[in-house]
Amino acid sequence: MNSDGFLETKGLTKVYSLGKINVVALEDVNLSVEEGKFLGVTGPSGSGKSTLMNLLGGLDTPSSGSIKVEGKFISELDKEELSLYRRYQVGMIFQTFNIISSYTALENVAFPLLFAGVSKRERHHRAGEMLEKVGLINRKDHRPAELSGGEQQRVAIARALVNKPKILLADEPTGNLDTSTSRQIVQTLAELNKNQGLTIIMISHELSMLAEFADDVIHLCDGKVVEQEKIR
Amino acid sequence: MMLFICAMGKLLNRKKSGKEPVRISDYIEHSFSNLRKKKLRTFLTTFGVVIGIGALVSMFSFGKGVQKNVTDSFKKMGLFNYIAVYPSSGRSRGEQANMDPDDPQNQIQYEQVSDSANSPILDDNFLQEIREIKGVESAFAEIRFPAQIRFNEKEQFSLVSVIPADVCRSELMKLRAGKAYEGDDENSLIINDSLLRRMDIKDFEAVIGEQIEVSTLAMDPNLLNPMKLMSIMQGENLPFNQESYTFTIAGVAERMGMGGFIPVRSDVYMPPGPAEDMKKISLTNIKDFFQPAEKLKGYSAITIKVSSVKYIDSIKKQMKDRGLGTFALIDQLKEIKTAFMFMDMFLLAVAMIGITVASLGIINTMVMSILERYREIGIMKAVGASENDVKKIFFFESGVIGFLGGIFGLALGWVVSTVINQIANHFLVKQGAPYTDYFSFPWWLCLGAVGFSILVSLGAGLYPAVRAARVDPVVALRHD
Ligand SMILES: Nc1ncnc2c1ncn2[C@@H]1O[C@H](COP(=O)(O)OP(=O)(O)O)[C@@H](O)[C@H]1O
Ligand SMILES: [Mg+2]
Repeated sequence: MNSDGFLETKGLTKVYSLGKINVVALEDVNLSVEEGKFLGVTGPSGSGKSTLMNLLGGLDTPSSGSIKVEGKFISELDKEELSLYRRYQVGMIFQTFNIISSYTALENVAFPLLFAGVSKRERHHRAGEMLEKVGLINRKDHRPAELSGGEQQRVAIARALVNKPKILLADEPTGNLDTSTSRQIVQTLAELNKNQGLTIIMISHELSMLAEFADDVIHLCDGKVVEQEKIR
Repeated sequence: MMLFICAMGKLLNRKKSGKEPVRISDYIEHSFSNLRKKKLRTFLTTFGVVIGIGALVSMFSFGKGVQKNVTDSFKKMGLFNYIAVYPSSGRSRGEQANMDPDDPQNQIQYEQVSDSANSPILDDNFLQEIREIKGVESAFAEIRFPAQIRFNEKEQFSLVSVIPADVCRSELMKLRAGKAYEGDDENSLIINDSLLRRMDIKDFEAVIGEQIEVSTLAMDPNLLNPMKLMSIMQGENLPFNQESYTFTIAGVAERMGMGGFIPVRSDVYMPPGPAEDMKKISLTNIKDFFQPAEKLKGYSAITIKVSSVKYIDSIKKQMKDRGLGTFALIDQLKEIKTAFMFMDMFLLAVAMIGITVASLGIINTMVMSILERYREIGIMKAVGASENDVKKIFFFESGVIGFLGGIFGLALGWVVSTVINQIANHFLVKQGAPYTDYFSFPWWLCLGAVGFSILVSLGAGLYPAVRAARVDPVVALRHD
């Protein structure tokens, strides 16, 4: 493994231009995350946390700076290559779960496999396995409306991991959940991190939880990293 | 149905390189399940296509049905195998005889015609000559005369055609009851069903073998008697003599539907033998009424049946070279085809309006679908869909709508056509027309309708699909 980081950013900057006004959402972010680490990201609203996540997840492209994942410069990929990166190398979960309301739990989890060219039978088989891992196999034919927030987020986790990525990006995954459910979700993520060596980057406002589960925490403010703390 | 699509998808996939991992069958399957999840919307959109394709199909099948009926009935009767030969215009014996010999211009023309153009008289010798020509299967003269038919104490005025027995036995004569007369000298005749119907006879089998009286009109030889002429002019007397003959009804013929071409277009048909002995006035030209018998030399027309259509041109040329006029129905085929083409174009235009409305419906639905599934598109991209993948998902959904619309549209078109056909026949059969399929569903129409529907739908889905592919996932996934 490359010693200078499994996931690395150098001078990562994102500027949104709204007409004549330029909004600097992220400015000169330098990160280095080793494989199998759990990185916590925190900061006030509008500090650029989601922007960082979208850049790391390949949904957005930086204005300047670079992102390197497993020795490959993500920031230099074209659209087609970026979709492959998103498909196989990272999984993302969100505050609002972002699962498709007309699909069952199983169909939601199986969905990313469609783009990977997996046959329907195999898709459902693998989706079933993932639901088993997050403890929702008995709810596989339920639609999101019939599931609790915690259950929906588990479906989202199962979906994010169905293509076996090494990195999971979680943008405030507990933002819409009550305290005890939040804990359960983060605990699940921590287990995946410990037992399977999944590299996790999670945004959260709950510092106590980050202190409990994360290896490192970075603080963002106005698009800049203002503090880096090493927890363990 | 699904099986067929999957098989097609797999076939298409085989050609693709390994670079594109998603199989077309998977896209199609995915589209089906997506559309199933939005049943009402899918139903309404598909319904638009169904209406459009249904209209197209029934229009086309009507057009094709009519065309098929016309050409088929011509073909079945072998009408394309006939050539009519008649004295070329200006030389018809009626006009020749009618010319005023005192008019010097006419005099000259008359002489020129009779001198230079030695066009033959259409008599039995000429008939025999024609029969020798290569490619001529048979030839017969056209003889028609008016007669009074008396049967069951009812009378009907009708037109009698003299037709040789072998022509009567051919496919030209469609019999509803009985059979054609066996020989040219038999004292029997064939009568049309429409004439019987006019005499209130419905049971055609019952009249076979019955006696029927045919009264002919012959020009009164005393016509030139001044006394007689006076009474004629006073309306007391007709300048005709009546002669009655008795025949046996051998068969009942079907009234000719369309294309009543020259040979068979009368109410009564009889063999040449007895006809020859009858006193009658020939009626092929109204002027014949006023001609003394001696002047009526030859027949007014001769009908030639060729053994194959390929001889028609050469025989026509030979006849023309001899100064005779010809008419062959096959020449009309081109004109008929042009007429059909216009009909097709009109039907196509009407159906196109339906299709246009249907594709606007698809575009509308798919664009609405993008707005509604904005976040879903973001999700697709987040989990690894490329722009191309998103494009294909929407594109294939349109295609599936087109496929369903095509299948059900075809079914609708078929149902509508069948119903209209039944209703039309219900009324037309009552009026004596034979049962006819006015709609035709050739295989290419069925396949073409579904294929066209898919193509049009894919075309309509193109713009929405491109728009869907361009959705920015960051914007689509932002939570508000
Ligand atoms: N697509 C965009 N266009 C313009 N400005 C944006 C866009 N996305 C984010 N921003 C701006 O960038 C800044 C950082 O946003 P974000 O990364 O969402 O913050 P956080 O997730 O920390 O709340 C904010 O000021 C926000 O308004
Ligand atoms: Mg955010």
